[in-house]
Amino acid sequence: MTADALFSLLPLILLALTAVGLVLLIGFYRNLQLSFALAMGGLLLALVSLLPVAGVLPQQATPLLIMDSYALFFSGLTLVTALLLLPLCHEHWRRQTSLNDEFYLLFLLAVMGALVLVASNHFVSLFLGLELLSLPLVIMVGYPFKPGFTPSLEAAVKYLVLSGAASAMLLFGIALIYLHSGTLAFAPLEPGLIRLPGPQNPLLLTGLILALAGIAFKLSLVPFHFWTPDVYQGAPLPATALLATLAKGALFALLLRFYLLSEGYLIGPLVWALTLIAIASMLAGNLLALLQDNLKRLLAYSSIGHFGYLLVALLAVSQSLGTALAVEAVSYYLVAYLFSTLAAFAVLVRLSGEDREAETLEDCRGLFWRHPWLATTLTLAMLSLAGIPLTIGFVGKFYIFAAAVEESLWLVLLVVVIASGIGLFYYLRVILMMTHQDAGPESDEASAPHWSSHTVTGILVAATLWFGVYPAPLITLIRHLTLAVN
Amino acid sequence: MLKLLWLIPALPLASSLLLILTQGRLPRAAVAALGVGSVGLAALIAFAIAAGFDMGTTYSQHLWQWFAIGSLQPGFSFYLDGLSLVMLLVVTGVGFLIHLYASAYMHPDPDYSRFFASMNLFLAAMLVLVLADNLLLLYLGWEGVGLCSYLLIGFWYQDPANGAAARKAFVITRVGDTAMAIGLFLLVREFGTLDIQQVLSAAPERWPDGSTLATACALLLLGGAVGKSAQLPLQNWLPDAMAGPTPVSALIHAATMVTAGVYLIARTHDLFLLAPAAQTLVAVVGVLTLLLAGYSALAQTDIKRILAYSTISQIGYMFLALGVGAWSAGIFHLVTHAFFKALLFLSAGSLILALHHQQDIRAMGGLYRRTPLLFGCFLVGSACLAALPLTSGFFSKEPILAQAWESSALLWLGALLGAGLTALYSFRLMFVVFFGPLQTPPQPLDMPPTIKARMPAVLLVLALLSLFGGALSLPLDGVLPATEAHPPMLVEAVGIGVPLLGVYLAYHFYLARPERLTQLLKFRGSRRLQILAQSGGGFDWLYDRFLRTPFIWLAKTNRDDAADLISRGTAGLSRYSHQLLAETQNGQLRWYASLMGLGLAFLIGMGVLT
Repeated sequence: MTADALFSLLPLILLALTAVGLVLLIGFYRNLQLSFALAMGGLLLALVSLLPVAGVLPQQATPLLIMDSYALFFSGLTLVTALLLLPLCHEHWRRQTSLNDEFYLLFLLAVMGALVLVASNHFVSLFLGLELLSLPLVIMVGYPFKPGFTPSLEAAVKYLVLSGAASAMLLFGIALIYLHSGTLAFAPLEPGLIRLPGPQNPLLLTGLILALAGIAFKLSLVPFHFWTPDVYQGAPLPATALLATLAKGALFALLLRFYLLSEGYLIGPLVWALTLIAIASMLAGNLLALLQDNLKRLLAYSSIGHFGYLLVALLAVSQSLGTALAVEAVSYYLVAYLFSTLAAFAVLVRLSGEDREAETLEDCRGLFWRHPWLATTLTLAMLSLAGIPLTIGFVGKFYIFAAAVEESLWLVLLVVVIASGIGLFYYLRVILMMTHQDAGPESDEASAPHWSSHTVTGILVAATLWFGVYPAPLITLIRHLTLAVN
Repeated sequence: MLKLLWLIPALPLASSLLLILTQGRLPRAAVAALGVGSVGLAALIAFAIAAGFDMGTTYSQHLWQWFAIGSLQPGFSFYLDGLSLVMLLVVTGVGFLIHLYASAYMHPDPDYSRFFASMNLFLAAMLVLVLADNLLLLYLGWEGVGLCSYLLIGFWYQDPANGAAARKAFVITRVGDTAMAIGLFLLVREFGTLDIQQVLSAAPERWPDGSTLATACALLLLGGAVGKSAQLPLQNWLPDAMAGPTPVSALIHAATMVTAGVYLIARTHDLFLLAPAAQTLVAVVGVLTLLLAGYSALAQTDIKRILAYSTISQIGYMFLALGVGAWSAGIFHLVTHAFFKALLFLSAGSLILALHHQQDIRAMGGLYRRTPLLFGCFLVGSACLAALPLTSGFFSKEPILAQAWESSALLWLGALLGAGLTALYSFRLMFVVFFGPLQTPPQPLDMPPTIKARMPAVLLVLALLSLFGGALSLPLDGVLPATEAHPPMLVEAVGIGVPLLGVYLAYHFYLARPERLTQLLKFRGSRRLQILAQSGGGFDWLYDRFLRTPFIWLAKTNRDDAADLISRGTAGLSRYSHQLLAETQNGQLRWYASLMGLGLAFLIGMGVLT
């Protein structure tokens, strides 16, 4: 490995060092504020280190990881998401009487897993990254909200068991693919189809679908989505937010890279399976959210739908028309989804009190009259998730549309339209609830919020609006950075 | 000086925007200075322009292109000729006087700033309407004044009745506006342009006299005019519009906006000349309206409603004038009417203020000694309204009657009867309010004297204008076709005599021998006639019975039609699917694991088998 290749892994190394430092700190001196500051510092350093790293790209650092501009973009996105998420976690935990500074350690490990995922072009690093992301998540999901609070444990067990099953599927799928292609690196699968008899190879297809199922589980795509609402609801808010944003975003970046490098779009049955999953996810996600009164569950279902939309962009990849538009669409949509979802979670965290989390629609009743700014934030988040113009979500959805139109995916497009229509209902329902005349439950925001969570909320609102009104800079950045994967 | 033409609508508009943006945070004095000052400045510019204007010429000012679609290229362009100059002077001049009056009248109102914001916006829109060189810009002003009328009728929105009156005015005028819009579409289709002068010069070349298309266009424009000017059959919104503050009634619902229909017809008179049938209809509508409104005014007890009906009836005279071809006389009557009706409304406003918002004339009486100034103003105004000799109303109404005589004896007879009615109801008002026993004593106004003084000052100016306005000569030659009518002496004598008879009858029945009137009303037939008059001809009832009720019935019957089935069906389907899917989320791990396995098996099976 060359020095440049090692240097290109600088963000990962910095995060690992911060994690080690945090372990030592917690071992000797337990202080929530200090741990938070250290974790934030590590994340910031890692983000800043992307700048010098950009100078030495692309680098194949060991056979497992590739640092190209695609990885750079998604590393940046992951780190920005983490930086926005961590203050929300802090806001949550500093209200608790129990000391939970290990949460930040687990958080850092999960971010490392995500960084490995977005830079992976090898099945081994895929599995490593995925487990590095998932195992801390299991623990984070299981964090009791307060002593003797069991739903989070139930959620953790559910996640552990089902996630284990999904990992097993993924591993089995990888083994079958390896059996076929003889390599664990992501490589075009097409030559293999010619080498073996028959137009389609059942073993390879089974392997691909098994691997896809493993990934689809983590992305909570139908029919592997059943865990999502229960785990979202049971987990403490910071863990739910991490699960919904960072984990899924990084994994989708990996899925896109795998799909492109293995030229999966040439394998008809795989495309069919993806189409089915996309349609089912869009419909089921939005229909399940329709009359949902629990906001955490609502966001869980909504994420199912959103990853269905993202799959549509994936389907728009084809040999004839190239991949640029689809990659752009996925990237932009992911940014939109991450920011909007984070904004929604930010409001929930801010509304939660010491003894209970704000998670029902009832908690939002009349929010406009109690907390106009929080209500505005949540309104923007909902509008953005629904894809209403002048928010970032609209631009993202427009991208998906454009990509699908370009590829003439009319059936899928029709489902996108129907699902978006259904989606509008429950997003607007939340907004309607907030404008309710009677004030609803008394203000829960007992202690003044930490300045960092204020800042995060402000940044999210600004980004949601700014990139919705003036998306050009972000588009240019994405175009510039995601070209490498083609 | 002509270059400053654009400033005339721009000044009130700017002041209005400023007042809207400051949201009532300015002190009263500043609001008044802005609201009245901007209009005053606009009026000054208008008079300066008029002083230097070479009569008989025209002037166009192109500000910028609005949009361009093919040959339809409307611009923000103003067009000044004799006709628009007259309107310009009336709107800014009378507008300024009424604004000045309102700055005192509305002084105690908490929404002082909102009032002037709306009034200035109205004036800007009205000036755009008057100055527009194309029908689209005119339509913008047309709708603008409609909006401001709505805002000002419902100015005291806390009372739901005022809101209802505002809605009624808006909806009913909208009926006419729709007709007008269709007329504009037709003109665009035929001529490809809405430039007024181009349309008017092209129309006689393309259409022969009495052609169907010309008649259709003229009728559609008449529809718009009828709605805006409260003529039959769209007249019933104006009496209710009196719910607004009295200066609003004076400015919008007497002097300026309601005469916009007259202006529209005069502006597009070439079209009406091509369609004699439509022009005759204008005259017939005018006569019917003036009779009905004059008759209705007889039985009203609310002082403002009497004046409202008299406005409808006087605009009827203007329509009659346009219909029989006395174009200039119609516009002349518009001008004098603006003077004396503003005078009457503002005097009524002062009276209402002095009597603590008492508007019922039955509660008034014997006021001529207590309020001599108002009595004088009312006397002048009523004399003009009744067209008593030597007043301005006489000079403007006489040529209308003369031309009607030339045109058709029936129209003349109607107009003559109307003149008698006018004298009767206006002097009924005089006698009931100012003579007889004192009912409610007037109270002095609680207002700073410098502000209070504005009201009598404005009244005096308007009274002078009303008295001597008949001596004005309007620069309409060359713009509107000139007509000369020389009816026999006898006809003219009758025209002078009938109003005097009306005054005598009023004196007889309301002052000298009121018991005769009571006797007269004992008959069943006359009682019914009185109710008919009180309800303004029963149009509200008619529309309610034959339009509103069937419409509501239709809407109710049509509630569950096929279109609803689709939307409800999809909602129901979504709900059902949601419930079905929600069943799968039962929280049981084993169930989740099996479903995942099943799904995987299905996907693999599909993938391998296809």
